[in-house]
Amino acid sequence: MPDQAATPGRPGVIHDLGYRHFEGVREGTATIARTLFVTGLRHAYGLGRSGKSKVMPFVLLAMSLLPAAIVVGVVVLTGLGSLPVSYADYTNQTQLLVSLFAASQAPVLFSRDLRHRSIVLYLARPLSSPVFALMRWLSLTVAMFVFTAVPTVLLFAGAMLAGLDKSDQTSAVLKALTLQVLLAAMLAGVSGLISSVSLRRGFAVVGSVMALIVLTGVVTVMQNIAYYDGDSESVSVGVGLLSPWSLHNGLGNAWDAGIDTPAPVDGAWVPAYAIVALLLVAGCLLGLVARFRKVASR
Amino acid sequence: MNATIAKLALQALLGRRRFFLLLAFPVLLIGLVALVTALVDGEAAYEILPGLGYPLVLPLVAILAASSVLGPEVDDGSIVYLLSKPVNRYAVAASKWVVALAATLAAGALPVLVAALVTGDSTRAGALFLGAAVAGTAYSALFLAISAVTRHAVIASLMFVLIWESLLGNLFTGIAWLSIGQWGLRVGHAVSDELPDPANLPYAVIASAVVTVVGVWFAGDRLRSFSVKGDD
Repeated sequence: MPDQAATPGRPGVIHDLGYRHFEGVREGTATIARTLFVTGLRHAYGLGRSGKSKVMPFVLLAMSLLPAAIVVGVVVLTGLGSLPVSYADYTNQTQLLVSLFAASQAPVLFSRDLRHRSIVLYLARPLSSPVFALMRWLSLTVAMFVFTAVPTVLLFAGAMLAGLDKSDQTSAVLKALTLQVLLAAMLAGVSGLISSVSLRRGFAVVGSVMALIVLTGVVTVMQNIAYYDGDSESVSVGVGLLSPWSLHNGLGNAWDAGIDTPAPVDGAWVPAYAIVALLLVAGCLLGLVARFRKVASR
Repeated sequence: MNATIAKLALQALLGRRRFFLLLAFPVLLIGLVALVTALVDGEAAYEILPGLGYPLVLPLVAILAASSVLGPEVDDGSIVYLLSKPVNRYAVAASKWVVALAATLAAGALPVLVAALVTGDSTRAGALFLGAAVAGTAYSALFLAISAVTRHAVIASLMFVLIWESLLGNLFTGIAWLSIGQWGLRVGHAVSDELPDPANLPYAVIASAVVTVVGVWFAGDRLRSFSVKGDD
């Protein structure tokens, strides 16, 4: 075996297939991880894939942009003094589209490699399975963030063109974008974990829809009932800890970002919401890493 | 109808994990309604049914059932073995639809009835069940047709339910004329006035029947001229 020294670290790595030697510099794990991230981000939007797979993400993106464009048009034409919907609440109002995007695109990043066993080819490179899992999650997180940020930025651009107060709008949009980063991390973690466990596409989609849309519906109904019928503010706020969307909305409410929740989130609930949101992300990441470790060891 | 194909579809539907996912919906719905009834009262708990059970759980069960009887076979291409048998393709579609329908009624409409009975007022419960049965029938046929057309059947069906019926349906009342869920509610309204009255009754009945028949026929038609495609 020639040139074993050229591949430091793991001996089982396929670099030299024996046809022609490569004398140049070998890029390390960082480059592989970066390439994987960029490819994953492109694939989440169907770029670099077949034409048909571009349809779904861009149709969803267009549908989430359309109301923003209408709002901007109304504000510019009628000269309203403020946006009729806050930036953070716009994301909340279009949550069905955001959740559907997560549910439909997570299987692209997390299921296909496992279903077709092409994962072994990735892991035959000097790239550990945890890094692979984390890069996939990062791709989906950034894709989700872009999905929510594009309409927000459009709204912001419209507000600026309409001459609304610059400092108010800027602080509101920054709050909304910060919340979206957290939301994207949560949604990508949950839908990614579900898609990496259930490999059939339809299965993964229904599972993600249950976790993101049905669970959020249940939580919203429970919050309303607890507040309006049960007269219990703490139960109403407490139930909100149970789904990613209610965490996002609760934090937005506490942070004065313009989202209404049935009961106001304040006091000790605010750190609780933040901690649960971070724990959810961390838990999903641990689950993903464990899942890909197990797949790699087979 | 072909008993063997129906039996195979039933086995595919009741495969281990799918069965638990299908079971999760009724358990979730009835458990939630029972919990709220126990903690608050029946009227508050009833709000869950038109808000969550009927527009979300019922179509999701129908999507899961319809895509499970046809989706996996289309997905892995093994449907060509089924289609190579000398069985009328329309009979194949009809057999699979019957199984999907049975599953939708058992795991979607029946839990709605049970949950509505838990909240009290059996007339209202019966009306909601009738509506759920009508909507479930049309849903399962529509989603079977979608499953026969595209590999992204689950997402396409979800978009119909969540975006067309829920999101846009809440904004534009006119969508009630083109929404299966609303037709079901209109049929239920004939039994109990507590259900909304979004369209007119003969139209709702005829539209549901047309969607059902055309859906199953179209699924059979797609199977008749089926071509195996690669993964994208």
